[in-house]
Amino acid sequence: MTATSVIELLRQQIESCEAQLRDLRQQLAEAEHDQQQEQTHDRLRHATDPHGDPLGHDMNFGIHDDFRSEVFAALSHVEADKPSAPRWPLDKSEYKRYGRQLIMPEIGLQGQLRLKNASVLIVGVGGLGCPAAAYLVGAGVGILGLIDGDTVEESNLHRQILHSTGRVGMTKVDSARIALNSLNPNVKLVAHTSHLTPESAIRILQLYDIILDCTDTPASRYLISDTCVLLGKPLVSASALRTEGQLMVLNNPPLRAGDSRGGPCYRCVFPKPPPPESVVTCGDGGILGPVVGVMGILQALEAIKLLTRNAQPPLTSEPMLAQPSDPPSLLIFSAYANPMFRSIRLRTRKPKCAACSAQASVTAKALESGSLDYVQFCGTVNPVDALSPSERISVDNYAKLRLAINPFTGMEPSKESHILVDVREKVQYDLCSLEGSINIPFSMVSHTSSHPYNEGNGRQQGAEEQTWVSSLRAYPDKPIVVICRRGNDSQITVRKMKELGLDNGGQRWIGDIKGGLKAWGQTVDRDFPDY
Amino acid sequence: MYYPSSASALICGGSFNPDPALPLTTSNMVKAPPGHFSILYFAAASTFTAKPSEHLPAAIKARHLFAVLESKYPGISEKVLSSCAVSVNVKYIDIEGDDAADLDLLIEEGDEVAIIPPVSSG
Repeated sequence: MTATSVIELLRQQIESCEAQLRDLRQQLAEAEHDQQQEQTHDRLRHATDPHGDPLGHDMNFGIHDDFRSEVFAALSHVEADKPSAPRWPLDKSEYKRYGRQLIMPEIGLQGQLRLKNASVLIVGVGGLGCPAAAYLVGAGVGILGLIDGDTVEESNLHRQILHSTGRVGMTKVDSARIALNSLNPNVKLVAHTSHLTPESAIRILQLYDIILDCTDTPASRYLISDTCVLLGKPLVSASALRTEGQLMVLNNPPLRAGDSRGGPCYRCVFPKPPPPESVVTCGDGGILGPVVGVMGILQALEAIKLLTRNAQPPLTSEPMLAQPSDPPSLLIFSAYANPMFRSIRLRTRKPKCAACSAQASVTAKALESGSLDYVQFCGTVNPVDALSPSERISVDNYAKLRLAINPFTGMEPSKESHILVDVREKVQYDLCSLEGSINIPFSMVSHTSSHPYNEGNGRQQGAEEQTWVSSLRAYPDKPIVVICRRGNDSQITVRKMKELGLDNGGQRWIGDIKGGLKAWGQTVDRDFPDY
Repeated sequence: MYYPSSASALICGGSFNPDPALPLTTSNMVKAPPGHFSILYFAAASTFTAKPSEHLPAAIKARHLFAVLESKYPGISEKVLSSCAVSVNVKYIDIEGDDAADLDLLIEEGDEVAIIPPVSSG
């Protein structure tokens, strides 16, 4: 590492630590202020409580200052021995803080008390968990649990609204606690700073009334749903990717497995996990902040609705009937579609569901013993290993090839020594690319049939899809070097090109760059953007 | 740091994206023409078909829906449909397995079918 980059790194670290210190000082100041206010408040309450101060009226002018403190001390002593019941069900500051929701018939005093007595668990303090937690803490739930094993990264900040630039590197749970505590110090926050596991799921989830699934993998979604069914907890599940989101309130009502009147679980809706290679993360697929924000906020809303349901007795004199829970539905949000929301009415529990039917194979014992392997159930993607070593070139060797003598042919570098094909999608290629590269998006490569002359397989080849193949065919002698973001799609592209015969039966070298542009940025050109 | 200009000027220099202006969304779906039903592709399904929606000839039985899509988009069954939820006129239908409840449901002219893959990220 060069001296300059060390200095730069140290500067960044100091900046980050200073920002954290500033944050902590602000926290401390707020906490001290709160404490001071509380003490003053207590003193005032003791001094002016109309029930505890029968002498107040007469003595206002009559007692000498010296005696007054003694009298007040004696009175408050008596009061401390016999604490009277609070005059109002909520603290005065709570009336003020929650006033705007308290005056709504959907909440009212009973609803607020339900919220105050409730405990909610947020699994995953990311794009969904941050806004969900903010609104639940704002609304005054009694206890909020937070589970996450990750630390805050810079690329989280555009959507994970509880974290901040100064807290990059801090655990997400700690970062969220700082933000939530300054939002509403009345809420008790419980930290669980490691990822949920099958072994720990029952122990942790059983402490809470409602669970919010704000995670980002298929395995965690099945694990959380199964555990909620076993424990009889309603589950508010949401997800988001790119411009779309999904929301479901599951296991509601949370009746025991086999009771068909209970709400469906995640397995009832999606019995089979998606093939692992088709699972796209926000890091690969992208995510728009407000899209995941909308979904997280809807989770908070559904949790509040569940907690305050039937809080207000009906005005009519008819016998009170518990309102049935809303029929189960899957809400789909598509930010760029019209309409943006579609609500799909779900069925009841699946008669053969593995988790919530009478034939359920998911049991507490199986879960806690670790015999239910969720990672295996959902499958894992092995790193792509499609090429032999002779078909791959390291970023260092490729840098030499661009600058100096070709390690394969011994030739001096020339402008037209090879063709560099970048297979990232166009939008990424436009962000940054190596000079002289051409862009053939991987989506086009993968949609091109390897057998263009076999008309029988039904797939029509678009004229444009063929263009990239014929363009490369037009330069039969030049080696083709393929690069992508991380070095996976480039391998598959090399395979496809060879299947298409672009290597002229082995006459032309076609290979890829190991580790892709990420490796290029890490070892060759440190100024190359990492996104 | 290292920006050699050696390998420039290769072929074309352009991009081969078929239609970069086409967003993969279900915006402004037009009503299905006579004899057709509408089908909406969400998430991974719209990525695979490279379209947000289209119209397909009606009527077909729900049990044949995946076969119709497979013939139009080879590979879609295994890669996308196997884990999808399906709805007809915003009602979830169960067509998974040989004894599923809605296999004989008729998808008729004017119906709206949705292919809903699970989205797991967040």
